[in-house]
Amino acid sequence: MTTTTTAHLATHPAAEMYAREYKTGQLSRREFLVRSTALGLSAAAAYSLIGLSPAMAQRATPAKGGTLRIQMGILALKDPRTYDWSEMGNVSRGLVEYLIEYNRDGTFSGVLLEGWEANADATQYTLRLRPGVTWNNGDAFTAADVAANFAAWCDTTVEGNSMAARMGGLVDADTGQARAGGIVVVDDLTVQINLPAPDITLVPGMADYPAAIMHRDLIGTNPLDHGVGTGAYRFTDYQVGISARLERNPDHSYWGDAYLDEVVFVDLGTDPAAWFAGAEAGEFDMTYQTVGEFVDLFSAVGWDRSDVTTGATVVVRPNQLNAPYDNVEVRRAILEAVDLSVVLELGMNGQGTVGENHHVCPIHPEYAELPPMVVDKAAAQARLAAAGHADANFTLVSLDDGLTRFTCDAVAAQMRDAGMTVTREVLPGSTFWNDWLNYPFSATEWNHRELGVQILNLAYRSGVAWNETAFANAEFDSLLDQANGIQDANARREVMARLQRIMQEEAVTIVPYWRSLFRHYRPGVVNADMHPKFEINIHHLGLSA
Amino acid sequence: MAFFILRRIGVMALTALCLTFVVFFLTNLAPNLEKLAKTQGNARMSDAEVVSWLDRNGYGGPLVVRYGEWLGVVPGWLREDPITGEWRGRCLARGQDPAEAARFCGLLQGDLGYSTVSATEVSSIIGGRLQLTGILMFWAFAVMVPSALLVGVLAGMREGSRTDRTLSTFSIASTATPEYVSGVIFIVLLASSQIGISPLLVEWGWLEGGTLFFGSARSAMDGVTFWNFTLPVMTIALYGMGYIARMTRASMAEVMMAQYIRTARLKGVKFSNIVMKHALRNALIAPFTVIMLQFPWLLNGVVIVETLFNYKGFGWTLVQAASNNDIELLLACSIVAVFVVLVTQLMSDIGYVFLNPRIRIS
Amino acid sequence: MEALSWSGDLGAFLNPVLMVAGLGFVAAFIANFMLTLVGLRPGEMVVNADHSLSLQRTPVDYTLMAMKYAVALFALGVLGYVIGGMILASPEQGGILGGMAARLTPVWLSLAALFAVSITFKRRLGLYGKLFDSPIGMIGFGLVMFWIFVAVFSGIIATHGPIDVISQMRNEVPGSPLPAPAEGQYAYYLLGGDNLGRDVFSRVIYGGFEVLKIAPLATLFAFMVGVTLGLPAGYYGGRLDTGITFVANLVLAFPVILLFYLLVTPEIVAAGIPNYLSMVLFVFPILFFSVLFNSRFRTDPPKRNLLVGGTVVIGGLAYLSLISNPSDPDLPMIFRLWPEVLDLFDIPGNLLIVFVSVVFVNSPTVFRIVRGIVLDIKTRDYVAAGQTRGEGPWYIMLWEILPNARGPLIVDFCLRIGYTTILLGTLGFFGLGVSPESPDWGSTINEGRRLLTIYPHPALPPALALMSLVLGLNLLADGLREESLKD
Repeated sequence: MTTTTTAHLATHPAAEMYAREYKTGQLSRREFLVRSTALGLSAAAAYSLIGLSPAMAQRATPAKGGTLRIQMGILALKDPRTYDWSEMGNVSRGLVEYLIEYNRDGTFSGVLLEGWEANADATQYTLRLRPGVTWNNGDAFTAADVAANFAAWCDTTVEGNSMAARMGGLVDADTGQARAGGIVVVDDLTVQINLPAPDITLVPGMADYPAAIMHRDLIGTNPLDHGVGTGAYRFTDYQVGISARLERNPDHSYWGDAYLDEVVFVDLGTDPAAWFAGAEAGEFDMTYQTVGEFVDLFSAVGWDRSDVTTGATVVVRPNQLNAPYDNVEVRRAILEAVDLSVVLELGMNGQGTVGENHHVCPIHPEYAELPPMVVDKAAAQARLAAAGHADANFTLVSLDDGLTRFTCDAVAAQMRDAGMTVTREVLPGSTFWNDWLNYPFSATEWNHRELGVQILNLAYRSGVAWNETAFANAEFDSLLDQANGIQDANARREVMARLQRIMQEEAVTIVPYWRSLFRHYRPGVVNADMHPKFEINIHHLGLSA
Repeated sequence: MAFFILRRIGVMALTALCLTFVVFFLTNLAPNLEKLAKTQGNARMSDAEVVSWLDRNGYGGPLVVRYGEWLGVVPGWLREDPITGEWRGRCLARGQDPAEAARFCGLLQGDLGYSTVSATEVSSIIGGRLQLTGILMFWAFAVMVPSALLVGVLAGMREGSRTDRTLSTFSIASTATPEYVSGVIFIVLLASSQIGISPLLVEWGWLEGGTLFFGSARSAMDGVTFWNFTLPVMTIALYGMGYIARMTRASMAEVMMAQYIRTARLKGVKFSNIVMKHALRNALIAPFTVIMLQFPWLLNGVVIVETLFNYKGFGWTLVQAASNNDIELLLACSIVAVFVVLVTQLMSDIGYVFLNPRIRIS
Repeated sequence: MEALSWSGDLGAFLNPVLMVAGLGFVAAFIANFMLTLVGLRPGEMVVNADHSLSLQRTPVDYTLMAMKYAVALFALGVLGYVIGGMILASPEQGGILGGMAARLTPVWLSLAALFAVSITFKRRLGLYGKLFDSPIGMIGFGLVMFWIFVAVFSGIIATHGPIDVISQMRNEVPGSPLPAPAEGQYAYYLLGGDNLGRDVFSRVIYGGFEVLKIAPLATLFAFMVGVTLGLPAGYYGGRLDTGITFVANLVLAFPVILLFYLLVTPEIVAAGIPNYLSMVLFVFPILFFSVLFNSRFRTDPPKRNLLVGGTVVIGGLAYLSLISNPSDPDLPMIFRLWPEVLDLFDIPGNLLIVFVSVVFVNSPTVFRIVRGIVLDIKTRDYVAAGQTRGEGPWYIMLWEILPNARGPLIVDFCLRIGYTTILLGTLGFFGLGVSPESPDWGSTINEGRRLLTIYPHPALPPALALMSLVLGLNLLADGLREESLKD
């Protein structure tokens, strides 16, 4: 991927500001990298701004050839805009690629883009396409493809199109389509995106798994149906729930490097014990992720471990449309009763850091440190009694998997310790997910996002699609709007502190911990490191020579 | 005889019809359809949207009519989408002209429908899975039946002897150990790199890392080996074995008490000759029917074992289809299951008649 | 505090005993096997010239004797643990085994009392008494009664609550001490902690209660349904028989797992299917008892009216309370008609559906057995005698045929409880159990299975418990069959 960074911006005024902040210690290195590369700087340039040599985790060059088997759930593919699982992006990434890629160390680098620039207030982005890229049906990859994809992402009439939310201001609220003049094709290899208001989340949005670039004539289709893409691979077999097989496409000249001849994704179900049994039986070479006790276990049988700290978590949230959770005192009592460190220990096996009941993680650039929340079981009980719900029966619903289930069991035990009556209900995935937004009290797994404001926009703004808490607070919304437009970390942190405090005071949800994510692979597998967003790019993977 | 078989086949068809209707009814209950709409469409649909989605996708009509469509005795549904103007229908491939499509496409036409979760034709899924389960069943039977017969004959040969007591207790213990118990114990003992005998073997240098047997049989889907298939096969065989062995023992013991055996013994025929030449054939009639009836029972075992060992055969498919409410896949599974049950019943009846010279059906 | 050892202070003395017994048994067994292989037979009685009998012992006899004594020694050693554990009382001295034996004291006492009384009066106790002539039957009965007493005394035996969580005790090995035991709290997890820090020992004990709460009752209901339908089907034959047999075969042709998956899902519960099914199935017990009393006391109207009326009123009240739940707004209207005041108890949908499904699956088999027996018995003379006496058909069925069919039915009842236990476990195994935190054995095995290869201790005890209960029931059935055949 070294070639991709050559044509990035040399510098950017805001990036220079970040560099000053970094040097004065206001920004961590990671935060600096996230923010400056999001503005279009190459990682190398970003590093040079702060006087470091590009220490970015340079990928090793594996040997050519070989077959790699990856353990991962295989779901039915569909229109990429409507992808709802990272696994879908991973399995099709060998065929349909992305404009930009989010790297493990927090930087962004171009894939189908050679580079991009943002103007000073982040309202205009200029995307420069990589020359010489072709589709595997022989067509050239041009600005028309990119413009068509942007237009499709902005189409809110498509059921389940989650890209529309990521495009933010580019969507015209009245027509439900892209804003007129928002997407401008400058020439064959340049596209300009004009936003009505500053938006720093556009670049992370383009790097996310539903943002796969489809051929301009095939937008809205399932890539599996036609097999047209820019990637080096093609599907030879796809069986939902069992396996997917990709081989290097011999009829297509890929623009970059791809090492493996064949990649097999193996579905071993959702039970991590089955993954381990499969590993012991030699059924695959690399896990999608490793969880709980199995982290130590995989290491014990000689597999290599890779980990990354993220803002991924499980929120145990009441839904405010349901009694008694509409009563803020009840919610506060629940939060007061739950000792998050115990939940981390029981639910996550201690693999992570304790959360603070708001959804901004310490590794986010704009995270503001708040005074710790108090756990007081007696006070919680008194508060519940004062609210007139002392004998309420709380039914806590969760998915029947390891992580959310154990987390909920731990939360339930904590609440019971405070004298509350809690009933647990565990549902299989199929039943659980069809109603996940509406349960009165349940738990949901949230993946890592690059910036702190992103999740707040996705899940806590009044009335947005994924607002599972039914939290609606005008002050919160307007502060969030304000935060979305502030590029300066310090300035934004002040607003974020208020947002975080509102979440705590309104007792919106339990955010028990921030997860560390783990992945294991057999010795000899190259570039298989864990990604904060579970991404697997099979173009990078390979076996050591 | 022909009339007897014809009659049985008639009853079978009626049974299959009733059972599939029950499955159809249960999978098409309003809450299940709502779940289907929300998983296939969008989790946040309103009630009105659910109704319109169901209507657009052919789940709107009366239950009996839809069952008829699935059977292939009622023409498949055909609707023009009011928004896009595209024709959609049960028998219609995407973009096909409705005039060209077949009118009926159901079970009778050999069309098993469409799996909503896998997004493919049911017929393309079910064949391969059945083959995998067939392999598992074959090996389970190959282990179970001979050893059960051996145990049963040995025990029944001398009723009340110490051998009988020991073997009978063993058979009782095996029927008291369901698959999920024995599977768990097998894995702990034989297929864990942390406990059981595998670490010992590694320590002694008899095994190069890893485990003796595999606790996951997924690799057996590509090729069966001794190491990846032993545990699932043993787990199924163990539970079924006890029952057949006990039946064989009872039958053998009864035969050994019969007059002609006594006569032979008094005439001084060697004991081994009596067992091999005179007793065995008659003693195996009853176990034969039991073995045939064991098939449907094995189906249960197969579901548990395939789940436990991650072997993606028919049982696993059934569980997946049921837990995801994949209606047409589940119906196909139940057709297969019911077919297996009924055919084995029929075979057990016919076999009994053929084997037993005392029974004649006119 | 230190973790408990398995055998505590007793181990120093008893472990060698057990080891000697075990080794002795194995050695004798191998010797015996080898000797029989080379053709040696046990010695036979020989009549001497002076008419006395003498036993010519061969080496085979000595190996058999050695095996017998080894078993006896082993039993003594185990008994030593039980009694030692009860006497030593403190778990530090008794170790894990002693500690468990001590907790189980009420069970041992009850078992001892039961066996003492039963064996003393076995001649006067009919078939039950005969059970004590068969060693197999006695072992089976002992195992079954052990678990029944465990279930009865579960509140006393268990050291902790079934869902009490102590987070530090997660996945701790058997015998681990609590980090900070409160006053009066049992200071150890005897069989370790599960993946949530709950006490495995207590969960197995409470699990026994859960299982024995459902399995026998469900089997009993299945029997009432099967008997109520099987008697007339066998007795009358004809269309009725054909019809019911067809329906029974229909249910039997259903793969059990598929049926459970179709029935025990939240959607089906929401649609009220369990309530409809229970509406049908639970009529049968009332019907059964009404007909039973009616046929018997037909000639004595006051007594009959009292008994039948009582059955209908009490049964009807229980029935209506059972099937309706006016406080649940999701149920169809028909189940909410019954007034709240008269609604004595509500059964949670989950439990009801599990119960109903198990009854539903079991009753056709019972029906087939009953029908078969009736077909056989109705040709007997005493039935013909009853018919000529002018007894009604239901009297003959219930008071002539049924009592004579009791032998095989009791045997099947025992077997069927075992089978039901396995079924419940299967449900738990697929996560379709009663409730997610329920300590029932199937669910516990399923949960323990996840971490089986590292921590076998949460999964093995419930697995062995389930196995021993089912084994006990099977042995009991075998003993009963053997003894009833001796009549």
